[in-house]
Amino acid sequence: MIRVAFDIGGTFTDFVLHDDRGATHFLKIPSTQRDPGEAVMRGLETLLARAGIDAGAVGGILHATTVATNAVLERKGAATGLITTEGFRDVLIIGRQKRYETYDLYINKPTPLVQRRHIAEVDERMDFDGSVVTELGAASVERAIDAMVASGRETVAVALLHAYANPAHEQAIRARIAERAPHLSVSISSEVSPKFREYERTNTTVANAYVKPIVSRYIANLEQALAARGFQNELFVMQSSGGLVSTDIARDYPIRIIESGPAAGVLMGATVGTSEAADHVITFDMGGTTAKLGAVDCGVPAIMPSFEIGHVRYKKGSGLPVNIPAVELLEIGAGGGSIAAVEMGMVVVGPESAGADPGPICYRQGGTRPTITDANVVLGYIAPDWFNAGAMTLDAEAARAGIAAEIGAPLGLEAGEAAWGIHLVATAAMENAMRIVSVEQGRDPRLYAMVAFGGAGPLHAARLARLIGIPKVIVPHGAGVGSAIGLLEAAPRIDVSATRVMQLDRNAFKTIAEVYDGLQARAVADVRRLGATAEPVWSRHAYMRYAGQGFEVHVDLPAGPIGAGYGEAAIDAFNRAYHRKHKFLDPDAVIEAVDWTLVATVPAGDRGAGGMGIGIGQSGDEAPDERRIRPLTRMAWFPEAGGYTETRILTRRDLIDGAAIAGPAIIEDPDSTTVVLPGDLARISAAGHLIIEISEGEQSVG
Amino acid sequence: MNASGTVDPITLTVIWNTMLSIAEELGTTLRHTAFSEGVREGDDFSTALFDANALMVAQGNFSPGHLGAMPTCVKLALEYFPPNSLKPGDSILLNDSFIGSGHFPDTFQIMPVFVEARLVGYVACSAHQVDMGGAAPGSQKVHGVTESFQEGLRILPVRFVREGTIDEDILRIVLGNVRMPDKVRGDLLAQHTANLTAYGRLEAMFRDYGAETIETAYKAILDRSEAAMRAALAKVPAGTYSFEDCLDDYGPGTEPVRMAVDITFDGKGAVELDFSRSSDQVPAAINSYINYTRAYALFAIKVFCDARQPQTEGAMRPVTITARQGCFFNPRFPAPSGGRAILQIRIFDTINGAMAQALPERAMGAFSHWSNPNIGGVDERTGKPFVMYDLGLAGYGGRHGEDGPEAMTPVMNCTNIPVEVHETHNPVRVRRMALLPDTGGAGQWRGGCGMLKEIEVLAARAVLSHLGDRHKVQPYGIFGGKPGALAESNLYRGNQKLALHSKETRDLEQGDVLSFNAVWGWRLWPAGAA
Repeated sequence: MIRVAFDIGGTFTDFVLHDDRGATHFLKIPSTQRDPGEAVMRGLETLLARAGIDAGAVGGILHATTVATNAVLERKGAATGLITTEGFRDVLIIGRQKRYETYDLYINKPTPLVQRRHIAEVDERMDFDGSVVTELGAASVERAIDAMVASGRETVAVALLHAYANPAHEQAIRARIAERAPHLSVSISSEVSPKFREYERTNTTVANAYVKPIVSRYIANLEQALAARGFQNELFVMQSSGGLVSTDIARDYPIRIIESGPAAGVLMGATVGTSEAADHVITFDMGGTTAKLGAVDCGVPAIMPSFEIGHVRYKKGSGLPVNIPAVELLEIGAGGGSIAAVEMGMVVVGPESAGADPGPICYRQGGTRPTITDANVVLGYIAPDWFNAGAMTLDAEAARAGIAAEIGAPLGLEAGEAAWGIHLVATAAMENAMRIVSVEQGRDPRLYAMVAFGGAGPLHAARLARLIGIPKVIVPHGAGVGSAIGLLEAAPRIDVSATRVMQLDRNAFKTIAEVYDGLQARAVADVRRLGATAEPVWSRHAYMRYAGQGFEVHVDLPAGPIGAGYGEAAIDAFNRAYHRKHKFLDPDAVIEAVDWTLVATVPAGDRGAGGMGIGIGQSGDEAPDERRIRPLTRMAWFPEAGGYTETRILTRRDLIDGAAIAGPAIIEDPDSTTVVLPGDLARISAAGHLIIEISEGEQSVG
Repeated sequence: MNASGTVDPITLTVIWNTMLSIAEELGTTLRHTAFSEGVREGDDFSTALFDANALMVAQGNFSPGHLGAMPTCVKLALEYFPPNSLKPGDSILLNDSFIGSGHFPDTFQIMPVFVEARLVGYVACSAHQVDMGGAAPGSQKVHGVTESFQEGLRILPVRFVREGTIDEDILRIVLGNVRMPDKVRGDLLAQHTANLTAYGRLEAMFRDYGAETIETAYKAILDRSEAAMRAALAKVPAGTYSFEDCLDDYGPGTEPVRMAVDITFDGKGAVELDFSRSSDQVPAAINSYINYTRAYALFAIKVFCDARQPQTEGAMRPVTITARQGCFFNPRFPAPSGGRAILQIRIFDTINGAMAQALPERAMGAFSHWSNPNIGGVDERTGKPFVMYDLGLAGYGGRHGEDGPEAMTPVMNCTNIPVEVHETHNPVRVRRMALLPDTGGAGQWRGGCGMLKEIEVLAARAVLSHLGDRHKVQPYGIFGGKPGALAESNLYRGNQKLALHSKETRDLEQGDVLSFNAVWGWRLWPAGAA
């Protein structure tokens, strides 16, 4: 089946078309900010022409988008109101109150997505166990709806205290809004995020309401444009959890597609890892502004129960928390454009970025402060005449002079040493981030492979892998459009979860069965909306802790019927997960489960979505004669070799025979550059990926 | 490292960043494995790493009150356990108010780190335990507590872990003296688990870089952070800046406590903060041991002069903090101190008032105060004791160029505890949690709003240990800005409204509704100055 995937990012829109002859076509074109669909349609035209295919022949259309994220980040969502429990109007404004910088009293909290004057209270109260303390007051509901209508709200969130334990009042309010003001879009917390902790649940529901009209219009427009062009099959959208979803579900729960693109990237990492017999993968996606790290365990992308939108300086706790499962992702301010400076006699890199404008010094667009890209040019890792496949010529001398003046002079270092310092400090920052993703989560780097992509990922990957002890780096074919490739690998997926705090013992199976019956009913309804004909694959997990703790560990629960013995099985599963993370067990403590999740994954079916292995190695693009004659060697800096060293320059094509080459070497692709360190071995695998075996090397690289 | 005993800037950077990352990871592990709401939800803990001479080289970004106490704490603990008496796998436990961070609930665990049988440093963490015994649940009762011995179990430094094995005898003594032994046990084990995590990473770092390079780097870290702090302090105009404010009182029917500071910048990079003009120590559990005074004085200086640099002992060298012996800010043992937590904001406010003269654009109106009530008793639903430890955090005074934010943690950096979490674990119902409009002081840049919280008691009986202030003395405004409104605490019982004192301990009944509010001040910038 012919399938096409597109990932709209802030700077570029990436496309992949996989045709029925097994060939894959990549395309990267600038995004069109005002109307993202414009770039989409233009890119699709180009791809169809290149592949010689009619729109009507395309079986699956898969999409990752930042439209919801940008609406939140730029505070350009719809006019939103909130209805909440009497006495708790200010939950959203109060938040969790912690400063993300301890010693800075001049910072501010994230601005809520709803203003206080658009928050209305209703008379009602649930208890933590779902019992009704105060009945819902009809008159207060009328007043709240009046207020929403009078102030011109387009979309309303309903988030009542303890609604995760009993949704009756939220549902009643929604029903009344449907009668009184059917034009209002409504999101209720017991459906969007039925978990305890009122601030996080309220914020999640409000964020859903805030982007709902925008996402709805966006998807409708896109579908219309696709249909007008002759595409006949349904569009699927990527969720933050790494599963695809039909557009009607994406419209109801747009908060689920916030981390759409990064999820696709991690999924690509999982698929590439599997094709290279690496079940445990750390994904490393480094672009112009940030580096993103994700993880894949046993072939499955790691999913976290929550994430934050809109970090300030990438500081944890500075964004808006969202209680929606998303791929585990750590983002730090280290990208090609990150600026280097000297503070206290040391090199500091990022999070400030030169961005694309003015950009690094070597772009010659007015940038005067040295960046990671400048350092990589001075080190010889990036060829000045082969940046973006020769689309741009870089000024290596200006980069060298800038680094010598800004970094070298104050520290008494040569330009090369100073550039190396920038490179190493940036890599060390990523190493510390990678520790959070690996060691802190109980993942032993020695058992993981790194899948590196994005414009700068493959350049830093080997050094990073060596620092942290990862033995193998995989640079996938099409590394520059990695996330779009990931879309082709995704399957439709529904996640439903609920909070039900209970102690685990041998009798727990009855309650567990009850919880999962409820979740199953909800999931089946959503799966039906996917239009899938194939039977979904079900999996369960829960978040558990020792009774008394406040943070839970992710515990995969056994499949199959829930009967006698399931309580013990759940305890065993907890013990394994807890020990893996904390290397410690307390046999005397009581185990408590808090949140329960059921995941339905629909295998590849007739709807055009679903993981079908694609021949990633066979690109339909890149005719040999397009390639300019390139020098065979260049001077590049490797401290292991004593500084600047004559280094081989290769392309993937040079390795196509499967032979391994030893570093130092630089492998230049049209969309990325890979650095192979001295002592490491690189080869192209049967699947077409570049594999680097990392030698243990010198740990001390200073 | 080269022959001259220096370390190259790149290696130094990498080592320093790794140290900070280890200190952070120590804290993350502690938060994730802790049992008490204060630690796991409130982030009421701290972490630090030390060199072989017990000089602090890195801290995690957690509660500054414990952080500032860390350097002295480790040195004093080592007076009980000279380094040559320590063995790999040992860990020291203490909670003494003078050695630690000023009250018994904060337990410190200090673990020596050995690499190839050589002592190369220490890791330490502190955590606010939910209870340490004594006169009232939560061990923070203020009024009626006149000496430390009423405040619960005092632990001078003991070898809690011997060569990797927890001393069950010590644990039994501790757990036999506290109201919530399960939670205290859980948190003590969490602290140990967290220290082990940091130990492992330090070992790896020493293996990668070698002890010689790392020790040179440590020295450079201390020297450079000292130099950076001196450079920052040297920018402050030389002179002595003084300010006085009053704590409402130290319990029902008592006098206000004078809080005075004289800050002298020498213009060359040193500063001395002297609290000697403050009142004498008081016979109530609210005195500020010098470690605690030092902690928040250091915090304030850092906020004003050097907020972004990582905190090390080097950065503390140019800062001298003094208070005459026997005064409120440097009491003699056995002065009681369980409720000293409410002073942190006031220590900052006092210094802020003085610094407004030196660095007017950095100063702000006084914070609204905060309330830290502990409600304890027996939960009839489970038959088990409970302590509801709450943090009511209000707003900031007006700042240069902008209004004070609402409901952001001032000074100590804690989160609040969700209503749904409190209600799930304690027999209480929160009736209201709301901002109080127009309670911040008026001015060109107003103060943030105060906040109100109402809590209904569902247990048949309970005890409240209230901790608050600014019920009598308003949060001041600066540069002509108006003060914020006064805070109030009330008990609603049937049709009665009973005023609660800010530091009162009161027996409660089912159906009682407690109401706490806290409000702040704001500032008015002189016209044309902005």
